[in-house]
Amino acid sequence: MSEPRFDPKPLLNALQRHDVDFIVVGAAAAISQGSPLPTYDLDVTPARDPQNIERIVAALVDLDAKLRTPAEPVPFPIDARMLARGEAWTLDTRFGSLDLVFAPAGTQGYDDLRRDALLVDLGTDRPVLVASIRDVIRMKEASAREKDRMQLPALRRTLDVIRRREHEA
Amino acid sequence: MISADLLHEARLRAGLTQAELGRRVHRSQSQIARWERGDVKPSLETLRELIRACGLELTFGLANYDDSYDEWILRALERTPEERLAHAVQAAGVWREFQASVEEARERAAV
Repeated sequence: MSEPRFDPKPLLNALQRHDVDFIVVGAAAAISQGSPLPTYDLDVTPARDPQNIERIVAALVDLDAKLRTPAEPVPFPIDARMLARGEAWTLDTRFGSLDLVFAPAGTQGYDDLRRDALLVDLGTDRPVLVASIRDVIRMKEASAREKDRMQLPALRRTLDVIRRREHEA
Repeated sequence: MISADLLHEARLRAGLTQAELGRRVHRSQSQIARWERGDVKPSLETLRELIRACGLELTFGLANYDDSYDEWILRALERTPEERLAHAVQAAGVWREFQASVEEARERAAV
């Protein structure tokens, strides 16, 4: 079975339609601010309060979310108690891959990232909260994964270029 | 802003407030804030001390200067955030299709 083409807009719209409080993190956050790297999935950090978890459940049902595995996606009972117990969920949806990460490496989660987050128009129903590029760098620096650390030179360079342009302006 | 960014990043990774970090290194909260804003630059030795107080180590290395990403970043900055994301997703799709075609060719060659 071929995997669905990744399309972040309907994923974001579904989260917004269900009033989920979340911040876009990872490559998509960096790209929205000028990073030149591609992305294959959408990473978000949702707020952890019980009401928000219930809203995430509704959005995931809407998106027909399944657990991502090396083979086929696996259906699972999307349940608030179970979701709340996990730190991170790697999912496949009708619109491609969606990762929920409650506390990305090097951060304390939603409230921590909210402080420096930007409200960005990504062409969705409403502007979206996006982690600052400084916070994306913080997460990638703290990550133990080599594929995250490999992105650091481009991310640091993006921050440098943005700063330089701001200074020149 | 390198020292400012590194200090800010280290403090947040440690989950410390500026006042808490200040207490650890016997400096005032306002001094930490000045360093983080880049108003004042700490010496390399002081920066290392501050980062150690966050439970992290500042590592050093030398690499060739590389500005090869700049052209792509500047091009991206000419687009809106929505266009940047759409472009990156499209680029990833093209890359995936290329990888799939290489894989198919490999399988055909193996038959």
